[in-house]
Amino acid sequence: MAIYSVGRKRIIIALLLTSALLLTLDLRGNPVIDRGRDAFAVVIGPVESATEVVTNPLEQVWNGIVHYDDLEEENLALQDQVDRLIGTQAAAEAAVIEGKELQALYSLPSLSGIDTEVARVVGSAANNLDQVIEINKGSSSGIAVGMPVVNQAGLVGKITSVTRTTARVMLVTDSRYVVSVKVTSSDGSFQAPTDTTPSGLAPDEIADAATTTTAPPDTTDPDGTGTDLPDGLPVPESTLPGATPPPLPDGFEPLVDDNGDPLSDEDIAALIEQGEDGQDGVEGEDGVEGEASADTADASADESTTTTTTTIPIVEKEFGGLEGRGRLLLPQIRFLQDNPALSVLQEGDLVETAGDSESLAPAGIPVGRVANRADRPGSGGPRLDVELHADLARLNFVRVVLYRPLSEVEQ
Amino acid sequence: MIAGFLQGPLVRIIPVGLVLLALQRTVLVDHQIDGVIIQLMTAASAAAGVAGGSERGAVVGFVFGAMFDLAEGTPLGSTATAMTLAGVVGGLLALIAADPQWWLSAIFTGLGTAAGVAAVPAVRLFVGEEDPFQQQLAVVVPVTAVAGVVLSPLLVPLGRWMLRMKRPEWKQPAADASL
Repeated sequence: MAIYSVGRKRIIIALLLTSALLLTLDLRGNPVIDRGRDAFAVVIGPVESATEVVTNPLEQVWNGIVHYDDLEEENLALQDQVDRLIGTQAAAEAAVIEGKELQALYSLPSLSGIDTEVARVVGSAANNLDQVIEINKGSSSGIAVGMPVVNQAGLVGKITSVTRTTARVMLVTDSRYVVSVKVTSSDGSFQAPTDTTPSGLAPDEIADAATTTTAPPDTTDPDGTGTDLPDGLPVPESTLPGATPPPLPDGFEPLVDDNGDPLSDEDIAALIEQGEDGQDGVEGEDGVEGEASADTADASADESTTTTTTTIPIVEKEFGGLEGRGRLLLPQIRFLQDNPALSVLQEGDLVETAGDSESLAPAGIPVGRVANRADRPGSGGPRLDVELHADLARLNFVRVVLYRPLSEVEQ
Repeated sequence: MIAGFLQGPLVRIIPVGLVLLALQRTVLVDHQIDGVIIQLMTAASAAAGVAGGSERGAVVGFVFGAMFDLAEGTPLGSTATAMTLAGVVGGLLALIAADPQWWLSAIFTGLGTAAGVAAVPAVRLFVGEEDPFQQQLAVVVPVTAVAGVVLSPLLVPLGRWMLRMKRPEWKQPAADASL
């Protein structure tokens, strides 16, 4: 064991001072340090690959032993969810198309015209403080610092640093993340479907039907509208949340009337108006009847899913700043002024990016729903906890929105 | 100079650091305990301090932390400072016993790890980050400290090898029976 002496303090002090010097240089921006990072990435890359080669089999054996039951349960739950989504997708796409047509009619900005770049998540932060992931696309793909990142569910984060072939994404939950958002209402009657099974199967039957009744969109169609990923996995171009979807994929049929003829846009609009007049947003009442006939096996060939859609008036309530608060806490919206005379902010309200001229994210990217409302004394206004649409714990592929704010474009 | 480098500890510290960093960024990110990523490199720094004293632990912690910062994109020097402190704390605690038992070394390593992990948000606060003390720190620090205790039987000998040190051969003199 070493004997401690006063003289040895010098080494420790020198190291701490060196750290402070490096911190100062790095925070002020130093090209030498940036090159050092790039060089170190080259060095550590092969070591990480070798480590993964060695540890992957061990990890898989461990996961097989420990997580097999969880995986089966999750698979069943996902199967149920897929059945439900197949039933609602066709009608939802029709509604989105309708909305985009209206947007175009009034020359409103839309996400459809913004290019995106699909990337794969290749790593995440190795410490417990930062909520950061790394993707396998960089400046060579047109990605720049500040661009928003989404997945099929909604906003994921933003680009914070870029190399030629990789980029780091700060997730929405990171405590340094802030984005301007708007809170919109869908009349507050939102209820997440919890125990519905549009497939018509009881939960215990789902397992048996899992291999025969499902016909998810054919995402492996190479000649479709997909973008080839590094591993050859195509992702539909329309997966930008809020953008206009592509033509219905194989296995789906457009909305039809009683004679089996596809509904025109006018028919859809008329049906939506009927829905507005006669319904209050609860599923299961009369409304648009859409058939999402999946390309199913014989076991469920006669199965059809009836889905009711109701157009609910969207009301913009308030604008604020969404801030991340770490992995364990829901992001929160601040700078809100609750004025009951105009609207009441409440649980279930939708949250999407506001897209002002200074914002790094365009308007209309879905973020999540208000999960809690915390009132504060005084004039500070309430704070809203937001439950994100995107599951940040399970990110495999993301889409970088190649968007620059108007303030930067003008420069 | 080259001979000095080859005969010094850095020639072992750097390769070991690369391997530990790779494990930190791959396996330990995938296998978290209660949502907490085990800080293997911080624990290794503390263990090096326990094995070789505070100044050698500080050197190991500084090198490991700088490598971590370079790989992770965190401000260069922030994690280095925290891991340096982990090595120093581990080394200072080891002064309590002349030739600590393995379990005592494990406790010292755990405490050094806890100090290093807790120092990270403190350093971030100094560099201007808002509210780095997140609620989860109350879970992160104990979990990483316990992981440091558990890994100590591996990390202390590893630290001793990195620093080219051998176990002390002298024995504490037995109590004189005549007294």
